[in-house]
Amino acid sequence: MKLSRIVLALTLSVASSAWAKDIKLLNVSYDPTRELYTEFNAAFAKHWKAKTGDNVTVEQSHGGSGKQARSVIDGLPADVVTLALAYDIDAIADKSRRLPADWQNKLPNNSAPYTSTINFLVRKGNPKGIKDWSDLVKPGVSVITPNPKTSGGARWNYLAAWGYALEKSGNDEAKAKEFVGKLFKNVPVLDSGARGSTTTFVQRGIGDVLLAWENEAFLAIKEFGADKFEIVTPSISILAEPTVTVVDKVAKKKGTEALALAYLEHLYSDEGQDLAGKHFYRPRSEKAVAKYAAQFPKLKLLSIDDSFGGWRAAQKKHFDDGGIFDDIYKP
Amino acid sequence: MKIRSKTITALVAAGLFGFGPKSIAAEESIAELKTLIQQLDQKIKVLERKQELDKDTASEKSKTAAVVRAGPGGFQLRSADTNFVLKIRGYVQADARFYPDDNSSGTKNDTFLLRRVRPIFEGTLYDRYDFRVMLDFPSGNTITANNNGLVQDAYLNARFFPEFQLQIGKFKEPVGLERLQSGANLLFIERSYPTQLLPNRDVGIQIQGDLFNNTLNYQIGAFNGVADGGSGDTDATNFDDEKDIAARLFATPFRNSDKDALRGLGFGIAGTFGDREGAPRGYVSAGQQSFFAYSGTVVADGQQWRVSPQAYYYWGPFGLVAEYAVSSLNLRNTANGRQQELTHTGWQVAASWFLTGEENSFKAVQPIKPFTVGGEGWGAWEVAARVSQLDIDDDAFTGAGPFASAATAASAATSYGFGVNWHLNRNVKFSLNYELTDFDGGTAPLLDKGEQALFLRAQVAF
Repeated sequence: MKLSRIVLALTLSVASSAWAKDIKLLNVSYDPTRELYTEFNAAFAKHWKAKTGDNVTVEQSHGGSGKQARSVIDGLPADVVTLALAYDIDAIADKSRRLPADWQNKLPNNSAPYTSTINFLVRKGNPKGIKDWSDLVKPGVSVITPNPKTSGGARWNYLAAWGYALEKSGNDEAKAKEFVGKLFKNVPVLDSGARGSTTTFVQRGIGDVLLAWENEAFLAIKEFGADKFEIVTPSISILAEPTVTVVDKVAKKKGTEALALAYLEHLYSDEGQDLAGKHFYRPRSEKAVAKYAAQFPKLKLLSIDDSFGGWRAAQKKHFDDGGIFDDIYKP
Repeated sequence: MKIRSKTITALVAAGLFGFGPKSIAAEESIAELKTLIQQLDQKIKVLERKQELDKDTASEKSKTAAVVRAGPGGFQLRSADTNFVLKIRGYVQADARFYPDDNSSGTKNDTFLLRRVRPIFEGTLYDRYDFRVMLDFPSGNTITANNNGLVQDAYLNARFFPEFQLQIGKFKEPVGLERLQSGANLLFIERSYPTQLLPNRDVGIQIQGDLFNNTLNYQIGAFNGVADGGSGDTDATNFDDEKDIAARLFATPFRNSDKDALRGLGFGIAGTFGDREGAPRGYVSAGQQSFFAYSGTVVADGQQWRVSPQAYYYWGPFGLVAEYAVSSLNLRNTANGRQQELTHTGWQVAASWFLTGEENSFKAVQPIKPFTVGGEGWGAWEVAARVSQLDIDDDAFTGAGPFASAATAASAATSYGFGVNWHLNRNVKFSLNYELTDFDGGTAPLLDKGEQALFLRAQVAF
């Protein structure tokens, strides 16, 4: 390479770095996505740098999904939200009007780039012999789950238990209510988010079974060892669809609209889907589904729309103030 | 406790009667004991965890509690979500005025006075509705009958969008650059001549906003209308049915640039248009002495327009402010019926430099090392120089039925000012100004000799 070409290349390189913009995004997410987004953010920053030359730093905020939604409603300037369930994003749309009511139509798969479900994490050897939801209401079984008022994961847990009870009782709502009431009587402590419940079960050594996001259960085993915990897959669970969207008004104000959308779209790319599978979320793309098929046990999954009439109806009936949960759980 | 007593009895029996350690009863008891310990362990762990969660909850709650703050920026009470804010601020200026060439027949007496005594209450409601109420209790203020106090500012600003805001109430008309600078942040103790040709505060309604990433600021409003340098008090008579339109465009095109040398450049143009009736105001020198007054029979009667191009430039410790103003007013001498349009002009150029290296600014300056008694900090030291001129339309003195006396009024005043400002910290400032003024025309002792004025100010602002 001639000297002039080297000089030209260096000049172009310096010039491009001088013009590169430094942009920050804030992703407000729910509790168990820390590890997924830590790796995904780095991958996206690399992808964006290669595509545009700009430097992207994605800041993360995690907590109970309902609590996180409240923070965004109260003014936390999230460019994007990646929450545990659609209702929490609906709440942001309804109460803050920072995004349109039809936000869920903006991205494929109802803006849920990956799915998950709820299963049981028990201590090694499964000392209480827990196999299905019916074992959780037995006397002497201590169940760990977060608070459905603040945690998206807890609402999925609750509805999975409710769905199981309905199936077993031939759609008898009274029996389902009694079943879930008994289950919550076995809950000694309610954390505000899924990660807090994992801490309670795994690190504080409380309880016999943790009702956990599938990815959270896998992560606990990966981090703390298969010699300490094991996963029990119940006969029935629920199809959890964590959803994502751009918080339009905030992104517009900050001038990050295009970047925020590209960030979420990247979740649907081969790289994004592969990372979802790697972090134990059930990917959507056929390629990633095939790659991680062996990782995820097959079980009957209830749908929020089919079994509960959608999130708005489920929220109103079960979790709003004065709903069934308030009736069955008296701290 | 039943289990415990049974266990102890079994253990004692095993020991006394020589049963082997692996006897069935003992084994059962040990198993019960283990269960008991596990149950107790779980209870303790649950209690500890609940305690931990309670602490977390208390910590979270503290994040949503209202916040009380006190600091150099004043005193503040705000909701955790910052949607509701109340700030209590204010400033007091105690001045001393000396006239070294004192001439009893033509110069004011040396004096101490309270130039501004202004408590300020301002804040925000529901995130985007700002309000401000600023009162004033200075020495010798006679604007409000039988009362030394008046309302300087009282307005609501609805920030619908940064680009579109609606302000209603009493506030500064969007015209003069120096006028729009807070009285607490002035470079010189008294403002310069072009400010006297432009309106002060008035009651009205204004649309304003920041465009293009805050690089272009616009304001346009309708006001009752005030005389040159005048301020419309809330209880003052509105002389006419007409309203003034005032507008201003001010650009700071490089404010977001990383080029230090350009970031502090701002320039713009402003003006007013309307009808005026009633008594016109005269003008005062740099030493605040009257050098031009209309004859008592002269009234404003007709159209008035004003235009003011303006600019500032700040780079590091250096600051430069330049402003030009034209005020054209239709007048009528009621003694003889003469009617004429007079056009007065004024300009100023002021430069300043921070000897102690602070970043110069149109706003308040933060000393690098605030002054401490016996400490290392000397505060911020700023030197300033200014030239300013006001030129009265010559037609004011000529022709039949002049509008002003050529003996007692000057046709122009030119002032040369030098100043030192000592910013002890962000809140306390001492200023010393010396201004030398030459007058054109007039035979009164002041106008004939010119004016020397030495002003001092102690200011506390928070």
